[in-house]
Amino acid sequence: MSGKKENSMLEIHGLCASVEGTEILRGIDLEVKAGEVHAIMGPNGSGKSTLANVLAGREEYLVDAGTVQYNGIDLLELSADERACEGIFLAFQYPVSIPGISNAYFLRSALNAIRRYRDESEIDAVDFLELVRSRMDLVGMDEKLLHRAVNDGFSGGEKKRNEILQMAVLDPNLAILDETDSGLDIDALRIVAEGVNKLRKKERAIIVVTHYQRLLDYIVPDHVHVLSEGKIVRSGDKSLALELEKEGYSWIQADDARAGNNA
Amino acid sequence: MVAETWSKQVQTGSLNFDDQGVDLKRRRGRALEQFEQHGFPGRKHEEWRYTPLSRLAAGPCAPLLERSQEIAFCPDLPVDMLAKVVIVNGEFRADLSDLSRLPSAIRVQSLAQLRHSDPDQLASLLDLYWTQDSHPFYDLSDALLDDGVHIEVVEEGAKIDAPIHILHVLDGQARSGSAHVTGLIQLAAGAQLQLIEEIRSAGEVLGNLRWGIGLDPRSILKRVRAFRPECSSIFHGTRVIQQQDSRFEDLFCSSGAELIRNELHVSHEGTGCHCDLMGAYAGCGKDHLDHHTTIDHKVEDCTSNEIYRGVLSGQARGVFSGMIHVHQDAQRTDAKQSNDTILLSEGAEADTRPRLEIYADDVKCTHGATIGELDEDAIFYLRSRGVSPDEARKILVRAFTSEVFHGLEDRQLSDFIADEIQQSINPDGTNHE
Ligand SMILES: Nc1ncnc2c1ncn2[C@@H]1O[C@H](COP(=O)(O)OP(=O)(O)OP(=O)(O)O)[C@@H](O)[C@H]1O
Ligand SMILES: [Mg+2]
Repeated sequence: MSGKKENSMLEIHGLCASVEGTEILRGIDLEVKAGEVHAIMGPNGSGKSTLANVLAGREEYLVDAGTVQYNGIDLLELSADERACEGIFLAFQYPVSIPGISNAYFLRSALNAIRRYRDESEIDAVDFLELVRSRMDLVGMDEKLLHRAVNDGFSGGEKKRNEILQMAVLDPNLAILDETDSGLDIDALRIVAEGVNKLRKKERAIIVVTHYQRLLDYIVPDHVHVLSEGKIVRSGDKSLALELEKEGYSWIQADDARAGNNA
Repeated sequence: MVAETWSKQVQTGSLNFDDQGVDLKRRRGRALEQFEQHGFPGRKHEEWRYTPLSRLAAGPCAPLLERSQEIAFCPDLPVDMLAKVVIVNGEFRADLSDLSRLPSAIRVQSLAQLRHSDPDQLASLLDLYWTQDSHPFYDLSDALLDDGVHIEVVEEGAKIDAPIHILHVLDGQARSGSAHVTGLIQLAAGAQLQLIEEIRSAGEVLGNLRWGIGLDPRSILKRVRAFRPECSSIFHGTRVIQQQDSRFEDLFCSSGAELIRNELHVSHEGTGCHCDLMGAYAGCGKDHLDHHTTIDHKVEDCTSNEIYRGVLSGQARGVFSGMIHVHQDAQRTDAKQSNDTILLSEGAEADTRPRLEIYADDVKCTHGATIGELDEDAIFYLRSRGVSPDEARKILVRAFTSEVFHGLEDRQLSDFIADEIQQSINPDGTNHE
């Protein structure tokens, strides 16, 4: 194994994916190393959530070509739940509500499923509550939400915080946050972003999908990528996000068109 | 016409009883006659259209289950109980029951005892609840009337906090057969009582159980039925007569049975009555789960709330037929009813028939029925958190049914019921084994 490979947690090569016969991802290349934060930006409908869902293992999305290596294993061979147990976490753009099951029950079932997968003993109710409480402080979440049904009747902002709470409890290696900032008010954005920052560590990689520079002021990325029509058309450092904020996406698309013409 | 096995068994069984009271004799005679004549109704009979009785009618369970044997199992619920009534193969077992901590406000005796000591009182109680229109299971109960339990809260206003556990054991391991049990409950004015009824069975059996319940003004009865009778056939019928301002809260939970027919008839005779009829059921394999409820709103200002939820996998079939009858004088009735089913497999089937008959003009009645599948987005959400597909489905089934027993104060009991139902679900929709 090469030294480079040892360092990268996620390696995506030529990934093409479609849904219901429509091609959405058209050849994605992306490499993410432990400890890094990558931001993915791009116009509506460009395929950001699709990429996030393909990585999480959603079966409606068909992988037509390409490879995804995660810590040296073929990620595409694993089911969604196995991926989660292997340490991949997706914070949903649109979290699902489940009436009839409390947030606490949901989260404990998830944590215990992952612990069983890792041959660890299940966590009991008392220890679990202690763990969750400490993590709730991190995202500034009200304990009442723990005993309410999963996302049921939660405000947009509460749902997003709940996703980050789940991340904080499940302790993933690779977290993909799909527009966690949308729907948050200015204070909540700061609190959640600070929470995410506290969850940064050298063993963990984070991919944040966002439309706004504002989030990246708090969660400063190591790399920024622009996704357009299913391809990464630009990659750069955090200054790329600033440029996008000023100029929008048209210059990239225009650039692209020129590049296409020149080729 | 009735199959010969049944006819012979019921006749000899019935003639064995040497009743003292004339009224009791009359009831027995009439029931025997009716059963002889009609037997088990076929599919052409409207009330029994969806209920497959042909296997039962063929007769393996016709003989009475053997009495006075050692029982192999006598499980306990994880709940603190005030008393325990154990009925084995139709016989009230004083040796297995525990009535030692009962306060004087409440009397519990075996039905056989009442039958011997006061047959006329028994006959008049039976007349109150069961009019002896032809009904295969009530006729069997009358023709073979023997034992059961008689529970009376005699002291007005007595609040009995801890529940009484009623356990039916149906043991047909040595030989298949049937047991016929009659229970009578009477609550004095303002009294409160909780019951938890459980059925456990082994082997091929028919459990034919019926309850007559009388609630005096302002009394409150809370009943939980937690049934997991495995491979047997169960008929469970309840008739409730409610007087002014009384409450009846019923929670029916069943999982896994070849055939269950749950019949519930509640009659509001006094103003200001309320009843909650809640049901959660799970079926797999070839289970048949059949629920027939009738609420008679006879007088004004009464309310009822009914929610039945089922989850069916394999080739299981669920039936819900819910009648709400609002009589002419029952102004300002408020009645809610819903039946929702989730089908986990193509072979599973649900029939739901809400029936409203409203003869008063100032009433609120709502009813609804849905048949659907588990939410795929919710399954993916759980899986994306590490939960296996099977467990995800079980959790969602728990979510769906648990709303029904939300109201249970006893968390241990509601967890126990949720677990029981979750256990009996085959998440991939296929059959057990
Ligand atoms: N399940 C689906 N069925 C049909 N089309 C889909 C499905 N999922 C995604 N698409 C389509 O794929 C394209 C990419 O969608 P995706 O959600 O990945 O975009 P996005 O970059 O996340 O957009 P946004 O910024 O608005 O969240 C869109 O045109 C969308 O309509
Ligand atoms: Mg998106």
